[in-house]
Amino acid sequence: MERRGDSATAIAGGPAQSRAGRLHRGDAWRTTALGILCALMIAPLIMAVIISLKSPSQFTRVPFLPTWPLRWENYEFAVQIISQFLLNSIITSGATVIGVLLLSSLAAYSFAQIRFPGRTFVFYAVLALMMVPASLTLVPSFVLIRDLRLINTYWSLILPWIAGGQIIGILILRAFFESLPGEMFDACRIDGASDWQIYWHVALPLTRSMLGVVAVLNILGTWNNLIWPTLTLPERKMWPLTPGLYSYMEQYYTSYGRVMAGLLLGSIPLVILFVFTSRLFVEGLTSGAIKT
Amino acid sequence: MKKSLWERISETRAGYLMVAPTLAFLLIFQYYPAVSGLYRSMFDWNAGLAGNFIGLSNFVELFTDDDVFIRSLKNMALLTIWYLIAFVGLSTGVAVLIHRIRHERSKYFFRLFMILPVIIPAVVLILLWKFIYDSTIGPLNTILIGVGLQDWTHAWLAEPKIAIYAIMFRNFPWIDGVSVLILLAGLQAIPVEIVESGLLDGASGWRRLRYIELPLITGQIKLLVVLTIMWGVQEYSAVWAMTQGGPIDSTQVPGMWMYFNAFRISRMGYASAIGVVMFLITLVATILNMRYIRSQEY
Repeated sequence: MERRGDSATAIAGGPAQSRAGRLHRGDAWRTTALGILCALMIAPLIMAVIISLKSPSQFTRVPFLPTWPLRWENYEFAVQIISQFLLNSIITSGATVIGVLLLSSLAAYSFAQIRFPGRTFVFYAVLALMMVPASLTLVPSFVLIRDLRLINTYWSLILPWIAGGQIIGILILRAFFESLPGEMFDACRIDGASDWQIYWHVALPLTRSMLGVVAVLNILGTWNNLIWPTLTLPERKMWPLTPGLYSYMEQYYTSYGRVMAGLLLGSIPLVILFVFTSRLFVEGLTSGAIKT
Repeated sequence: MKKSLWERISETRAGYLMVAPTLAFLLIFQYYPAVSGLYRSMFDWNAGLAGNFIGLSNFVELFTDDDVFIRSLKNMALLTIWYLIAFVGLSTGVAVLIHRIRHERSKYFFRLFMILPVIIPAVVLILLWKFIYDSTIGPLNTILIGVGLQDWTHAWLAEPKIAIYAIMFRNFPWIDGVSVLILLAGLQAIPVEIVESGLLDGASGWRRLRYIELPLITGQIKLLVVLTIMWGVQEYSAVWAMTQGGPIDSTQVPGMWMYFNAFRISRMGYASAIGVVMFLITLVATILNMRYIRSQEY
């Protein structure tokens, strides 16, 4: 009798309660397992922090545990070298992201809202490039950049990056512009607005957060590009941060403290970007799943 | 009354003008290199020279007379299979674990933590692992000696039989933040009612995973499989930064071999042919996958 009564109240207690009780059990071992995974993920970074505060002789004596005094001068040394690379990255990734946002939003608006003859064909011509991998174009792109005499200029990074980066931007923004109510745009046209005015005064302001998503995706892509800049920029002082960190480690490999300080400093800009745009960040990274 | 084509074109000229800059960029920096790559793969071509047309000889040489290329294909297959296990398999496990945590705060914390491998620049992780594998001062060997396993120590990136596995197992524990986030988004989109009715029917634990959750996130899983295969075929920056394909070409992958041919020994036509082969591999993989997805839907 009693048991029956219990189950009756459990059912009467509503779905919320039973959901909490039955859907999620065993938090303890899950948290432990994930905690261990997270600790392992962060372990190399903790190692880097510890080593970055050591002088060479401290490292020889006790390589992987903290030693005092902490050698902050490793960071001072690294800043001097890293800052030039960082500046190069900001210039090239910054110019690229501006170009990508401008070109892809214009094209996406046109594809979504203007019914010009041939629009489907042109759109598929853009879409088809999703299938062309960087490996096919690497060698000819290099020769093209050389023939255009852009070697050893920032343009050798910016122009190809704009061309490649705008494709995914067009896809994301076109889907967004198509989801906006068409009546709104028609109303603007009846009021006499040109397509340029609608694009600038109506469409762009509405799409601010999507532009943010495209920007974050684009910055992540160009920021992490390791090999292309080493091909088109013979002078190392023009290299962006990613290849710059590589050459920095090659050059100072045996001063471990300085190397680790440099690698950690080089990680900070993306962390800052993430802190300010975390929502766009997650949205951008998972936006690939929208396509399915 | 139907307007003539010219009228429609002139009415919508803003549309063309808006697409024009995009098209100009794509034609110059995407279409031209792609076509040129296909064309130049049939040339014996050095930088700066016009080159001789040699038909398919580059491809014949690749598959009949280039042991390094064959080895690079094997390495590529090995790495891609591993990336599938690590990025898709492991990530699914982690996503399900996070999804089932009841405590909202810790759930949020773990989800946030999964971003970590994304916001740390890839090159930093690669270089940290290069250091971890260092034969004399690297922590991996230090730990092995510390626990009395001297015999297990290796020059991880310098021994031909081991180096490819060292590259493979970098970034332990191999969590791919982006995959976890995509899969979590899929899991969270499953209606609670479905899971609840499943629970009422007695499906819990493994059965809930096998019969309810996995079938409902196959879309995300397939997407990740396609992306991972494309990435696995193309990717060579880890090899480039850690071993440059050595020792004695034991870690060579097609991308690295293409780079070497083009920019170290100036065989640009031959390198273009490698690029074409990589393009065809990704193309076939993607088409097969799209076919597969479509046949599943109907």
